[in-house]
Amino acid sequence: MTAQTIQKSKNGGRLRLWWQSVWSRFDDVPLLGWLIGALVAVGLEYAVGRPFAQLLGMRKSPALFGFLFILKEPWLIPSAIVYVAVMTILPIAALAKATASFANKTATALLRASTLLSVAVHLILLYAILYIWCDILPYRLIVVKLTLIAIVITLSLNVVNGYMGEFSCSHPGFISLGAYGASVVTILVFDDPSPWLFPLALIVGGIVAALGALLVAIPSFRTRGDYLAIISLAFTFIIKSFIENLEFVGGPRGLGGQPNWASLPVVFIVTIIAIWIINNFVRSILGKALNAVRDNEAAADAMTVNTQRTKMTAFLFSAFWAGVAGGLLAHVLAFINPASFGLQKLAEVLAMVYFGGLNSVVGSIVGAVSLNLLGEMLRPLEIWKWIVIPLMLILMMIYRPTGLVAFKEFDIVALLQPKQTTKGEQ
Amino acid sequence: MPLLEVKHMTHFFGGLRAVHDFNLSIEKGEIRGLIGPNGAGKTTIFNLITGVYQPTEGEILFNGQSIIGLQTHEIASLGLSRTFQNLRLWRHMSVVEHIKMARYSKITYGLVGAFFDTPQRRREEKEAEEMAYHLMDELAITHLAGQIVTNLPYGAQRRVEMARALATEPDLLFLDEPTAGMNPEELAQMMDIFRQVHKEFGMAIFLIEHRLRVVMELCDRIQTLVFGEVIAEGTPEEIQNNPKVVEAYLGKEDIH
Amino acid sequence: MTYFLQNFVNALQWGSFYALIALGYSMVYGVLLLFNFAHGDIFMVGSYIGFFVATGLVGLSAVGVITLPYWLILVLTILISMILTAFVGMLVERVGYRPLRDAPRASAAITGLMIGVILETLNLIMLGAERYKFPELLQTEIYELGGVSVTNKKIMIVFVSLLLMYLLNLFVMKTKWGMAMRAMAYDFAVVPLMGIPLNTIAALTFGLGSALAAAASILFGTAYPVMDPYMGVTIGWKAFVAAILGGRGSIVGAAVAGFILGFIEIFSASVFPSTYRDLIAYSIILFILVFRPHGLFGQEHTSKLRL
Repeated sequence: MTAQTIQKSKNGGRLRLWWQSVWSRFDDVPLLGWLIGALVAVGLEYAVGRPFAQLLGMRKSPALFGFLFILKEPWLIPSAIVYVAVMTILPIAALAKATASFANKTATALLRASTLLSVAVHLILLYAILYIWCDILPYRLIVVKLTLIAIVITLSLNVVNGYMGEFSCSHPGFISLGAYGASVVTILVFDDPSPWLFPLALIVGGIVAALGALLVAIPSFRTRGDYLAIISLAFTFIIKSFIENLEFVGGPRGLGGQPNWASLPVVFIVTIIAIWIINNFVRSILGKALNAVRDNEAAADAMTVNTQRTKMTAFLFSAFWAGVAGGLLAHVLAFINPASFGLQKLAEVLAMVYFGGLNSVVGSIVGAVSLNLLGEMLRPLEIWKWIVIPLMLILMMIYRPTGLVAFKEFDIVALLQPKQTTKGEQ
Repeated sequence: MPLLEVKHMTHFFGGLRAVHDFNLSIEKGEIRGLIGPNGAGKTTIFNLITGVYQPTEGEILFNGQSIIGLQTHEIASLGLSRTFQNLRLWRHMSVVEHIKMARYSKITYGLVGAFFDTPQRRREEKEAEEMAYHLMDELAITHLAGQIVTNLPYGAQRRVEMARALATEPDLLFLDEPTAGMNPEELAQMMDIFRQVHKEFGMAIFLIEHRLRVVMELCDRIQTLVFGEVIAEGTPEEIQNNPKVVEAYLGKEDIH
Repeated sequence: MTYFLQNFVNALQWGSFYALIALGYSMVYGVLLLFNFAHGDIFMVGSYIGFFVATGLVGLSAVGVITLPYWLILVLTILISMILTAFVGMLVERVGYRPLRDAPRASAAITGLMIGVILETLNLIMLGAERYKFPELLQTEIYELGGVSVTNKKIMIVFVSLLLMYLLNLFVMKTKWGMAMRAMAYDFAVVPLMGIPLNTIAALTFGLGSALAAAASILFGTAYPVMDPYMGVTIGWKAFVAAILGGRGSIVGAAVAGFILGFIEIFSASVFPSTYRDLIAYSIILFILVFRPHGLFGQEHTSKLRL
């Protein structure tokens, strides 16, 4: 028995060593190198993906790395693995490695020229990759859009539930306020709206949500304790019921026909702006004050921190972004109804925040991306999906109660740095 | 004009009289001590002056301005900083973040700066960081800058709290039993730090202590508080030889 | 006046459901400082357990294995489901909450939510989307009292609820276990020091709360027989709000607030269109909470769902 466990752990250790040795070969690849590799890989898939898939016996390219096949058409799993290996993993790895020194030099030069330029180049590459990847299969487009929106929602909730350490349940309310606010601007206010109105509509959505947040914040932050959790929960119910009774936006039947403006570039840009601003905020002294308030409010007060204003600002800020995300969501789906902003939405949003990791921008990105993709990948499981995902979350809470990547700072400049090659070997 | 002037301050918790007719006047650069047995109301006096509680009666003037009714963070911004008896650090934050945080009231970049990473914000954040490193040097904790405070030994945590209090650039520093729980070696180091800090920054210090040695060595004048009332006031020698103090404090209470 | 009395009777009935469920929330909060977000779904599970027990007993009676009058079947159903659901509640505590005893409370709230989702899904998987109907164990009889019509079901529901609340109060006030629960509610940290087995008390609290939810679900089933896997969600969350309104951790508060919620809902629905019911109910509760932050019978708690 013991010998067996030792053997097992040895094997596990060996596997990890092997993995580390593989991974260490890529130590000198900077982010730029990975992006170049990925770009070429999606280009390859774009050019020959379909015939290659058919060659392997599949009707079309596997949409999400072949995961959809696992239960639906298990006999295609080997084909899917080959496809993913040839189309994605190998080209990325090979190119990342091959271009490493070029990428390092370029990354150095870019950063030396200006950080902004470097950021822009990386973002353009990232966008190009997403664009081509989505262009191969239309199904991917909607997945990517919803995932990007989920990132904004998760991040904004993390500001309150993670950074500020309160337990807010009002996000479905804020998202729906934003969705309806923006939709009212684009559908009801103007007869023949131009797409240039869209940013305005999103901002209106955000402001409506922030005004809603004011209603929650004023009574909640006077008292300590679990107060916000309850008030915000009641708020979610109230907003849902309120919209159900609002005839001019369709009441319980919902509101449809939003113009098709939430294209991939728009969603991408809004997401990037949201990440940038939220990350700036939580890394500033004004934003760090949230952590101080969370960890010890009396000490924060004694150290000149205006705790009331800090909490209030952060809460409205969080709601604003939830509202913007709601506006995007409404225009991606082109239909919204009050029923979709209820408790299920709450569970979904909370799950992304707590799975990804509290008090961490990277964590929120990871949480939103992984749970969204997972949700899509597990689609073939049908209803069993709703056993698997909750179980994963429960295990996560038991073994890592603050989530996967909690309490990490997201330093963009560090991310863009070239990787030093060791003593010019290889 | 004294830096801090407290006149006839009285406070009740419900029906319980915690502080009675407390008077205090601290000059710039002076080191004051407040001693007294457990439960005498020493920390309550700190909390009253720093705005945690509102006194039932009396006047508190800081630089000639009444600070009654101001919020704690407003009083702190005026130049009145403090440490806590039971360390109150922020458990998920690093040492350098602690000290930068205490610069909160000096930040002028506002929300625009916080959201958009403006040049002004970069400059002010950098200044705060430089100040933090200066203070960490001063207190010999620079090597701990990036550490999360929860992982630090007790003595180092005390220093972090001290550095944080200093970062608000106080004219008056309240220290609430700053040597509690320290061993003799740490105690000696801490006393050196007090002297050094006082010499360097020249602020006034108002000190609550349990250990008589600390107050006797450091303070210019000492008050003795028993049941919320000052029973004696004077220089360390006078206090040491005051029969009332000896009876009420040294004679009967068990001190460490 | 008759109109008022008629609504009064209906409000008493709905208040009984809310109160019984709210008690479960409140006890768990009081003793363990946890929001048991799975409680609404335990109500749902109780309802289905009750359905199978009742159908089984009716079937056995029909084929003549045992001969029981329907009222006795109802009583047995309530008792058996209470016991079985209590075990479900303890299982939930064991799996979802006990491993997180030292984790941040917000994490436990998340596991609660997720266990709720799992219970709903399991139900769908095992029983499909088909709606089941609770067997009619009590023939409806209508009594006219001065223009107010009262059914025997309503009387039974209110009576059984009050009886259960009385028994619960007796348990908490008079028994050793009840005292241990109260001690734990008073000071969580000190309890293990006094030789009170924390895990046993936690399990007991969940068991009792779940048993009450099961009783509520069967009473609910006699009045509103159609069941579905999401039935616990709406009514459960409302009861949660009632528990908060009553004052977290207060048993009397939860019971009173349950009835208050019933009254608000029935009377607002009698004046305004019924679609406004939730809006008005939650707004009133919010309004009360703004002025009484700790609920009607609660004491100040500074603890927080913190990291």
